[in-house]
Amino acid sequence: MEDNVKVAERDATLEEMREIDDNLRLPAVPDQVSYPIVTDTPEARTQTPAVGQRASRPDGRLHGLGQTKYIDDMYFPGMIHAKIKRSGISKARIKSIDVSEAEKMPGVMATLIGKEIPINSFGPSYQDQPVIADEMVFHAGDAVAAVAAVTEQLAQDALEKIKIDYEPLDPVYDPIEAMKESAPQVHEGGSNIYATKVIQKGDVEQGFKDAYRIYENTFSTQMVEHVPMEPHASIADWDGNGRVTLHSSLGRITLGRADISRTLDIPINRVRIIATVVGGNFGGKNEITTEPILALLSKKTGRPVKGIYTREDEFISSTTRHPFVMDYKTGVDKDGQIVARKVRLVCDGGAYCSWSETTLGKACILSAGPYNIENLYVEAFAVYTNKTMTGAMRGFGAPQVCFAYESHMDDIAVDLGIDPLELRMRNAFHEGSASPTGQVLQSVVVKDSLEMAADRFGWEEWSK
Amino acid sequence: MKPFDFVKPDDQEAAISALAAHSPNVRILAGGTDYLVELKHVSQSPGTVVDVSQIAELKGIEETEDGLRIGAGVTHSAIMADPLIEKHVPAMIHAAHTIGAVQTRNLGTLGGNLVTCVPSMDSGPTLVALDAEVTVAGPDGSRRIPLTEFFVGPRKTILAPHELLIDVIIPKRNLGKPTNFYKFGLRKGQALALVNAASSLWVEDGKFKDVRISLGAVSPVVVRAPKAEAVLEGKPVSDDLISEAGKIAVTECNPIDDFRASLDYRRDLIDVLTRRTLQAAVEIAAQE
Amino acid sequence: MDVTLTVNGEEKSVSVPPETTLLRLLRDDLNLTGAKIGCDVGDCGACTVIMDGIAVNSCLVLAGQAGGRSVETIEGLADLDAYHPLQKNFEDLGSLQCGFCGPGMILTAKQLLDDNPNPSKEEIQDALAGNLCRCTGYTKIVEAVADAAAEMRGDKQAA
Repeated sequence: MEDNVKVAERDATLEEMREIDDNLRLPAVPDQVSYPIVTDTPEARTQTPAVGQRASRPDGRLHGLGQTKYIDDMYFPGMIHAKIKRSGISKARIKSIDVSEAEKMPGVMATLIGKEIPINSFGPSYQDQPVIADEMVFHAGDAVAAVAAVTEQLAQDALEKIKIDYEPLDPVYDPIEAMKESAPQVHEGGSNIYATKVIQKGDVEQGFKDAYRIYENTFSTQMVEHVPMEPHASIADWDGNGRVTLHSSLGRITLGRADISRTLDIPINRVRIIATVVGGNFGGKNEITTEPILALLSKKTGRPVKGIYTREDEFISSTTRHPFVMDYKTGVDKDGQIVARKVRLVCDGGAYCSWSETTLGKACILSAGPYNIENLYVEAFAVYTNKTMTGAMRGFGAPQVCFAYESHMDDIAVDLGIDPLELRMRNAFHEGSASPTGQVLQSVVVKDSLEMAADRFGWEEWSK
Repeated sequence: MKPFDFVKPDDQEAAISALAAHSPNVRILAGGTDYLVELKHVSQSPGTVVDVSQIAELKGIEETEDGLRIGAGVTHSAIMADPLIEKHVPAMIHAAHTIGAVQTRNLGTLGGNLVTCVPSMDSGPTLVALDAEVTVAGPDGSRRIPLTEFFVGPRKTILAPHELLIDVIIPKRNLGKPTNFYKFGLRKGQALALVNAASSLWVEDGKFKDVRISLGAVSPVVVRAPKAEAVLEGKPVSDDLISEAGKIAVTECNPIDDFRASLDYRRDLIDVLTRRTLQAAVEIAAQE
Repeated sequence: MDVTLTVNGEEKSVSVPPETTLLRLLRDDLNLTGAKIGCDVGDCGACTVIMDGIAVNSCLVLAGQAGGRSVETIEGLADLDAYHPLQKNFEDLGSLQCGFCGPGMILTAKQLLDDNPNPSKEEIQDALAGNLCRCTGYTKIVEAVADAAAEMRGDKQAA
């Protein structure tokens, strides 16, 4: 390698120098011809030129060279490190917090507790989530204090010196239990049910009366963490003019900017978010997490503050996919045509709303499946429990209900002695079908794709 | 990690002196695939960490007059690539392959796997099924004990803080003994065994001889199933008898009921794995 | 404590506390940030480096253990003439999406190809079992390793 450098420096022509640079590709210059370049407008339902072609990513080269700078790969002069203390208890009243021992430790620059946050609540639908829990703890992953120190290890050690006195309260973990009036309230003041959706179409009770057979089953899904390879990460720098710059792995920076300016109680034009390359999001990095904490620690210390989630933080504190409990009741005629379906969805939202309301709506619309059903009734509830909060994740409520209605269809097919594919073909949407909410659907190819798929993997042979 | 002192002795003797000098606030570091994870989460400093990962004496695999000697510091990858192991105890290669992933096997050592002594260890069953012995050395000299006596409980062995596991010896009589190891985990790579098992046996004149059945993740430590072994011993090889042994083995274990698998599921696995390993060992015997 | 080790062919000396991992040493002291902190407990493989010819999780190696040994990181894979066929094929096939697993993935693959120039699909999958990709780009990653192997053997012309 040394030889190459010498040769290049001494003898290389400009052309060769360019070639050397090009070999290293610094900065990344994507090869233009590697993109699909045919841009003719395709005819309807034909394959577009993009399908089946390889496209390389413009950032792929730097990824492979290990030169991509994610947040944790960045360093700013004077930068210090923040760590967050988690409650470890799922429901409690905070009687007192004592950070004095932590602050005395050499190397510790600042601490932060909930009471110091100007407006200690945020959330995309309802502002029900504290940045740092101040009076009440709602789940075991709640932040209760933060420390900024010159090294990560010092910050971590300082967390152990923070003394918090809790008064444990009765938690509720099961969403069905939480719906009962007698259940402990996760957030004070009213029911644990914080969102309800209903879809009604036709007359479902009459449909059941007319049905040849009626099937009922309950399905449930579990909580799923996104586990992005890169944990949540941010660096905050509060400058001398009272403006804060945040380098963040946040996916929705505009929304995040509004939330940050609200929690910090500063005008939005003083908040600048620089979105960096993100090491996996999958919906889990759509909301702010520690950004206001880092901003305030930076304000206190006058230093840039970096905060990286540990893998443990990631699991207990960041959003997850909603667990659902789904009751399905379906009436069919002798041919397997669905005449009525009743669905009840309970979405375990965890401690905070986050995107649960939106997720619930999506799940509700999709819960009947891609099938023509004249008589339909869907009711759906989002419920607080004292668990890690749930939020956006790939599919947004669709995978849960899909698991339920397709499992349900299989049960029906077995009982009626109809081929499972045939049962779906008899009921599936066709051109001009109306969705449960009355949307008239166009370009409906569900039957074609089912047939094609069945053909491709030899369904006839396989199902014998 | 909490601050600690790091010592890297050059040989076995220096390692033992270092352990003795810092005992009891001392821990041994070999591959580190388990201990470093622990070290990152403990709230107390271990005091001194003695790194034995590069000590040449702990690295050898050789035939001695007692049998096959495998140094405690041999990595799982080294076991998989070793011609002597392939010749005499091929089941160990399969067992090593089921541990973690490439990176884990490249660092993790046989000795580390045994000393960590988690009930689901994948090195244990094969070695127990082959009546392996271990050498333990301290400042006052060394002693040789059967591997089954080395295990005391979950994450607990007979080792004192100032003692070092030196090697594992597979007795000469068991070199080449038909043996099979089977691990059942939720995935192929990077999964803990829900149950793992190894069986070894000779078939002489169509009859079982010296049957050993060993099971992991079903009791506080890796155990043998002596009643199941006794059912087979000296009897003509038959599938019915193997099935019976599987059922008996279930009664000899005490599996836990946790989020990875229910009690009933683990019991079923014990039955199935006992049968499969016995059948596989019989097949190996038939080939020879 | 003072640690002297060879990194990408060059001898480096650093002074770090004993509780420093090789991963932190590379990232914080040598500014080689290609190895990533994914889980810090040896599960994800994002911190994979090649130490004395074998792929290891650098989060599970103490700085002191790495003393006197030779470490190869992703930064050492490309030189001024060309980048490694693995890097090229990973790029061409779009095998890296968010890219966070990339450096570890490529180095594990490199060790595989060093040991076995003609691995089967199953052998590639087995070798990469310790490198997690949450964008679920495994299919293209396995293809890229196979293509790189073919290119390095001379069976396939470099594009």
